[in-house]
Amino acid sequence: MNDKRTNLEIIAPSVEEAIEKGLNDLGMPRQSVDIEILDEGGKGLFGLGNRQARVRLTIKSETDEPGAEPSPTSAGNGDTFLTAEQALDAEEEELDEEPPFLGDDYVLDVARDVVSELLEKMKVRADVTAEYVPTSDTRSRVPVRVNINGDDLSYLIGRQAETLNALQYISSLIINKEIGRSVHLIVDVEGYRLRRENQLRQLARRMADQAVSTGRRQVLEPMPANERRIVHIELRDNPSVETESIGEDPRRKVTVIPQ
Amino acid sequence: MQDLIEYIALSLVDDPLQVRVSQYRRGSNVEIRLQVAKEDMGRVIGKRGRVANSMRNLLRVAAAREGQRASLDIMEPK
Repeated sequence: MNDKRTNLEIIAPSVEEAIEKGLNDLGMPRQSVDIEILDEGGKGLFGLGNRQARVRLTIKSETDEPGAEPSPTSAGNGDTFLTAEQALDAEEEELDEEPPFLGDDYVLDVARDVVSELLEKMKVRADVTAEYVPTSDTRSRVPVRVNINGDDLSYLIGRQAETLNALQYISSLIINKEIGRSVHLIVDVEGYRLRRENQLRQLARRMADQAVSTGRRQVLEPMPANERRIVHIELRDNPSVETESIGEDPRRKVTVIPQ
Repeated sequence: MQDLIEYIALSLVDDPLQVRVSQYRRGSNVEIRLQVAKEDMGRVIGKRGRVANSMRNLLRVAAAREGQRASLDIMEPK
């Protein structure tokens, strides 16, 4: 695995659009990245739930020759990414003081160890890995994602991801305390969050269409903050709607307002 | 189960020497008591009880793994 290198996962209606979007986000030409198609997308069963295409772009390190073994993260590799991120950052009003820490294996090790330790104490047997998740969302630091994989772990997700969120919250408190700064941590079980994110993005777009076609504001079900955020981000660049959260947690919900 | 709460508490407090975790059995329920230094109470309870509730959630799963039920009480230091 080359999970130490900078990579970006993008989801879009088609493979081509996903690649396009990813290259745009990274601000890099096509020849500077390796493209891996994770999911070509396509029609779901019974014509329902069309799947989006999913691709992973990995920034080639400068020393990479065609056919050569991928080299581990070099300083140059990290810098390339930082530059692209910073260029995007400059467009945002909210600048983060802390630059993303890429290639900082210590943070990944701590994150993985803390989650493993918690699972072990819960008598859960599972594989735990940690990686950085570069995103196009430049408002936050580069998240660290800890993936938990194993047999039949749905009880680790719980109703409305309650257990998964508890695990993520406790893990992030412990990790932050241990390394002395705040890390944006995502804990995932069997790809649940990615699946949920796809669902939410589709829902967001559907609600936007409905808002426009009916001329009425659409109110979504109550969601936790991380899920509301996905909806806001998905519709951020859509000029025909505005989004707004109303109510108080845990009943806070997103509304989509036609413009 | 006791292990889980002890690990979390020890990782979050500033004063680990004052962390005490004990476990009592009441019928089919296992009662876990956590005691920490007064200054650390906020760290194990959290805003609107978020840390305590997250610990309870994980504890519930850990207990269910062993076919049991468990509850967590966070005690004020004497």
